Amino acid sequence: MNKDNNRPNENRKRSTDFKARGEPALWLLGGTLTIGLLMIFGFLTLIIYNGLSTFYPRPIEVLRLADGSKIAGEFIRSEKFKPEPDKIASLPEAAKKELADNKGYLKRLLFKTGNFDLYHEDYKWAPDFEIVERSRPEDMIYVKRIEWGPFIGKIVSLDMDGTTVGVSNLSLAELKEAHREAEKRRRRIQEIERGQLAAVNYYMDRNRLALRKVELKQGKESQAYVNASENFKTEQEKLEKRYNELSNEAASLRQVDSKYTITLVDVAGKEKTNKISDIVEFYPTNQLSLGQKIKIYLAGWSEFLTEEPREANTEGGVLPAIFGTFCMTVLMSIFVAPFGVVAALYLREYAKQGQLVSVIRICVNNLAGVPSIVYGVFGLGFFAYVFGVSIDELFFPERFPNPTFGTGGILWASLTLALLTVPVVIVATEESLAAVPQSMREGSLACGASKWQTIKRIVLPRAMPGVMTGLILAMARGAGEVAPLMLVGVVKMAPELPIDSFYPYVHLERSFMHLGFHIFDLAFQSRNSEAAIPMVFVTTLLLITLVFVMNIVSIIVRNRLKRKFFAGHF
Amino acid sequence: MGNPGARSRKKTRKWVLIADKIADKAITIGGVLVIAAVMTMTVYLIYVVVPLFKGGEVLSVKQYNEPIDPSDIVNLTLDEHGALAVAVSKTGKVDIWHAGTGTPLKSLYFDFGAKHLTSVGKTIDNNSIAFGFSDGTLRLAEIVFRNDIISEDSAPQGLSGLDDQDKTDGDTIFSKIPGKGLRKVDVELNLQPEIRVSESGRPIVALGYRLVEFGDRPKSYLAVADSSGETHFISTETKSNMLTGAKTTEVNKSALPLPGKKVEFKFAVINDMGDQIMLADKQGRVFRYDVRNESEPKLAEVLDLLPADRELTVFDTLLGGRSIVVGDSLGGLSIYFLIRRDDAQSTDGLTMVRTREFAPLDSSVTGFSASQNGKSFATLDSNGSIWLIHGISQKILLKLGGTTIFARKIALSPRLESLVAIGNDGHVGFWKLSVPHPEISWRTLFGKVWYEGYPSPSFTWQSTGATDAFEPKLSLVPLIFGTLKATFYSLLFAAPLALLAAIYTSEFVPKNVHGKIKPIMEIMASLPSVVLGFVAALVLAPIVESWIGAVILAFVVAPMSLVASAYLWQLIPVRVTLRLEGLPKLILMGLAVCLGLSAAYFLGPEFEKLFFNGDLKTWLNTNQGSSQPLLFLLALPVAGVGLTYAISRTIGTRLNIWLRSFRDPYGPLLDMLRWLAVVLATIVISYLSSFLLSWLGLDPRGSIFGTYIQRNTLVVGFAMGFAVIPIIYTLAEDALAAVPDQLRSASLGCGATNWQTAMWVVLPTAISGVFSAIMIGMGRAVGETMIVVMATGNTPVLDLNIFSGLRALSANIAVELPEAPKDGTLYRTLFMTGLVLFAMTFFINTLAEIVRQRFRKKALKL
Repeated sequence: MNKDNNRPNENRKRSTDFKARGEPALWLLGGTLTIGLLMIFGFLTLIIYNGLSTFYPRPIEVLRLADGSKIAGEFIRSEKFKPEPDKIASLPEAAKKELADNKGYLKRLLFKTGNFDLYHEDYKWAPDFEIVERSRPEDMIYVKRIEWGPFIGKIVSLDMDGTTVGVSNLSLAELKEAHREAEKRRRRIQEIERGQLAAVNYYMDRNRLALRKVELKQGKESQAYVNASENFKTEQEKLEKRYNELSNEAASLRQVDSKYTITLVDVAGKEKTNKISDIVEFYPTNQLSLGQKIKIYLAGWSEFLTEEPREANTEGGVLPAIFGTFCMTVLMSIFVAPFGVVAALYLREYAKQGQLVSVIRICVNNLAGVPSIVYGVFGLGFFAYVFGVSIDELFFPERFPNPTFGTGGILWASLTLALLTVPVVIVATEESLAAVPQSMREGSLACGASKWQTIKRIVLPRAMPGVMTGLILAMARGAGEVAPLMLVGVVKMAPELPIDSFYPYVHLERSFMHLGFHIFDLAFQSRNSEAAIPMVFVTTLLLITLVFVMNIVSIIVRNRLKRKFFAGHF
Repeated sequence: MGNPGARSRKKTRKWVLIADKIADKAITIGGVLVIAAVMTMTVYLIYVVVPLFKGGEVLSVKQYNEPIDPSDIVNLTLDEHGALAVAVSKTGKVDIWHAGTGTPLKSLYFDFGAKHLTSVGKTIDNNSIAFGFSDGTLRLAEIVFRNDIISEDSAPQGLSGLDDQDKTDGDTIFSKIPGKGLRKVDVELNLQPEIRVSESGRPIVALGYRLVEFGDRPKSYLAVADSSGETHFISTETKSNMLTGAKTTEVNKSALPLPGKKVEFKFAVINDMGDQIMLADKQGRVFRYDVRNESEPKLAEVLDLLPADRELTVFDTLLGGRSIVVGDSLGGLSIYFLIRRDDAQSTDGLTMVRTREFAPLDSSVTGFSASQNGKSFATLDSNGSIWLIHGISQKILLKLGGTTIFARKIALSPRLESLVAIGNDGHVGFWKLSVPHPEISWRTLFGKVWYEGYPSPSFTWQSTGATDAFEPKLSLVPLIFGTLKATFYSLLFAAPLALLAAIYTSEFVPKNVHGKIKPIMEIMASLPSVVLGFVAALVLAPIVESWIGAVILAFVVAPMSLVASAYLWQLIPVRVTLRLEGLPKLILMGLAVCLGLSAAYFLGPEFEKLFFNGDLKTWLNTNQGSSQPLLFLLALPVAGVGLTYAISRTIGTRLNIWLRSFRDPYGPLLDMLRWLAVVLATIVISYLSSFLLSWLGLDPRGSIFGTYIQRNTLVVGFAMGFAVIPIIYTLAEDALAAVPDQLRSASLGCGATNWQTAMWVVLPTAISGVFSAIMIGMGRAVGETMIVVMATGNTPVLDLNIFSGLRALSANIAVELPEAPKDGTLYRTLFMTGLVLFAMTFFINTLAEIVRQRFRKKALKL
């Protein structure tokens, strides 16, 4: 570091040129680096901590406030806040003292109180000075429900088809048994309504469209139309009969189901009667052992990963979003891989290297930096409104005026993202093609191989890891991109998945859900952003894990490639 | 060549040749296609945008004769679809004909009795008319177009065809409509009983008529002037009895105060709310009456609109009634608004202001017809030419000429799809028009425009409004400004941070640590921006809001604590520090940063109390208290840098040599004292200068600082900075690493320290690469969408305030495009914003790329 000190000599007069050493500046430089690293670690810690802790059952606390009222809920966090200047005068003495001690800040605690149906809020701030007592009663129960979010309180009684059982005569096992039964009924109703009835509806709609197609093609007077409409009528009758049967079954099941109810009471004494089947899960949090808590925690994750969302996406799972993201990314890779590689092969191996090619190269490089939203604009205008509308006119006239391909959908979304990422793949492929030593090509050609044989057998295999890196990077970018998707087919709640059991099985025209958009939607469009935040964190964790894993894989692949190159160089 | 027989046996197999050919063709064609497809994007964007700048287009012109004299006609109108033309004559005769062919249909009459028509007032659609008579009475009338959709089968027999679309049965028109059906268009007249205005029976000379909807009850307002100059304000309201359904009409009449001397009024106009009446005479003198209180009208203002050599020929309103069009005898055409002005010479503080002036017509403006679809209008000059003009863009959309018609009367169809004109000798022209985007011009996109209800011309973006009469305000300037503001503040935060970190990583961090830091940064570059946006909006913004004092303080305290630590570090004997180089030192630096940040956290409230009366937000929002504290903070860095520079230029070297003469523990101590003295001097200088500046009245509030909003530019700066830092860092680090090692070795060999080598050898060599890194980061910031959508309030405002929101080009597209109807003006304008964004990033990236390639060439030569 210091040139004056190369030879330590005690007798020599030791002095330092501070200006040359530049220590303050060095510390500023290093400081910025540590700030950057701190930011990254802080950010990741925030996401990981909040994401991982969401499903862990927190103890339910009952608070007694100064005015005698009680609230019960899970403690979320506490924060210091500044009371509004005009409200300070009306605060109680204790608060004023606290205010004076803490430089104008007060402490308050956030509790998740649930019971949205009773109070129209499910989170509550309790100022610290108002809290008289905090306790954790053993009998408080956390009830996850299909609707209205969780209920926090106690069980009063169980009403099973007319017979009412009070809580004192009830064991947990009996409760669980009743709940299991109710859950079975719920699943059966769901199966009928979402599965079988939906299928009947789907077939009815398909028959109607088929008839309309015949009408449009052959005219209303034609023999073909008469035959088709005969057919249609008999089919439709059959389907309607089936429909009635199913809906009757569902209705009767519902009727039975509505006789099994549970009455709950919250900490303030308000009662609420729910169908047992509306309960997803319930547990007395404060009695749980660590093992049980972990079980609930894991169940939370499994619900998150395998179920559909509920409650305007703020509860339940994200399976459709995972599936949508996956389908779109795969589709995108199907488009982007061959086209990107072909374009790169052309630029590097076939095109005459000259002024034009280098201009094209700069343009391609530049396109990688064009904002994604511009691609979205193009995708909407060109793919959906020009391409899609023409497809509709040619192949789906019977659905007019409803658009089929003439609006956003998974096909257009993946094409748009393919266009967005193709420059990335072209650049990466070109670089790896350029890295294959010219001598290898010459050797192959000298042995009598044709140009295509050389590329296929010699060049491409060596460039493959680089191509893969580019492709994975493109996929990671595609999976995380949201802005263009907002324009070309992503929705907050897709009723149908892009792949299902109805012919033709893959429905490329459908709109879809996406993890990134799910985050945006949850954070900004839900009724209560506080209630949505835990889900946002979990979804975020999932998304960045996905993106980071892809990136890390690409880095590993790249490092392998480098090693292989150095080993195989001659 | 040897043995030809042996060679010929070694033939290449056929399929190899074929495969080669196929691959050759496929890759060439495929490659060219892919590249072409990617390039298509630009072409397509331009293709969508170009129609915005086309004016209007005449689709077809029809000419025919009608047996009518244009000077007899008092009202000309077209139905909604431009199928029927209806002309009302002085005598009450109503001529109806098929607009496309001129085929006369049924004749109707308004029965005026024996009365002589002296004046006519009409609403914007020309269908509600007020007739004023010579005996001082008036009658309200209505032309009702009745549209019925009937199926093709139920159409009456024996229709005769008019053109390929319309048929007639002699009285009405049957038009084909898309799908299978016909639209039957019929006309009915409706004349209401007379209202006596002038008690003395003097003829009515000017009539203003307006219908205003209050809920579902229309109210008619009339301004009436008779030949003696007496004026009246009449409002009529038709109420229907809920039980019987009987309709009763209530008429309120009040006399307007006389202007003093006798005026011969020629024009009368009522504004959109029915509470202002403007009466004008031939010379262009306008008398404005304030009738907000109907029973007590007041003469609010008298104004001369025209110079003496001009006569007023057109005095009317555009759609909505807030823009008043004034045309004169020399072809001058302008629009006036009623605006509140402090210097208004009126009783109510409002005054008529000329806000838009059009390019003059060739000769006297003689006719006017306003569109009911936006703010377009048609005017007529005394040469008989017709001009189609848009009121906001001030664009001349069309000048209809090239026919033999010397137009005297014109009418636009309600949807601006056609125009009918009656010329001398009953020549009639019927134009089908296509004017898809009249409101767009370079001026409305990039210039200041004076909109209705605004006190002055402004750059405004507001694409949708509640009513038909809304003026779409499509200035791109606030959006471009928003993008640049977000980019500027995020780069202000990110560029120094990323560059300094890159220099340190490349030059001072040992190789093993380096290998770990770089991939972390690279992975961060791929972080989905939606995540950053969410964290910025829901986590960062509330924290910054409640800890704003600490955040501001951190910008001062963190660097100070680092520098202070550096001086403490110098106190440690070199033997020890050498052993601590590398990772331990980096960790110590991190500790120093943490120390600084936690100091800021703990001192934040005190700082706010001391500087901003305890609450920065109130201090900013209310403009109370002295501006000195903020000026002091702003002066600190300026004074600090200035002072350091001044010292290094003057006594710096001598001071350095003097410091070197001390033995080790004393030298560093003195150096530290020197620094403390500089800090103290900086504070004193800042204090004095801020005192002086605030005494001079300088207040940064209202410009770069101002009202605090939770989702503000500071938060966006942080979040977007976070997105941009990894990119700038990685590229800059690459550029620095590309500087060949022999340069470093040479520099070190000549006795330079690491610091000197990095600063004076490596950085200057790599500077172009570093610059290109910043440019690429800037390109990303310009186009970033999700962060700005989520972390700003998306308010399109034009202010520099770091504590207010903004709306960026990209966010604007994301917010508005899903709602914009295809091929509409907004849709194309949003494509235009996309194109602007594309052009901006393309320019920045190309610049960066060229610089980078130059740097590469230079680096290779070294």
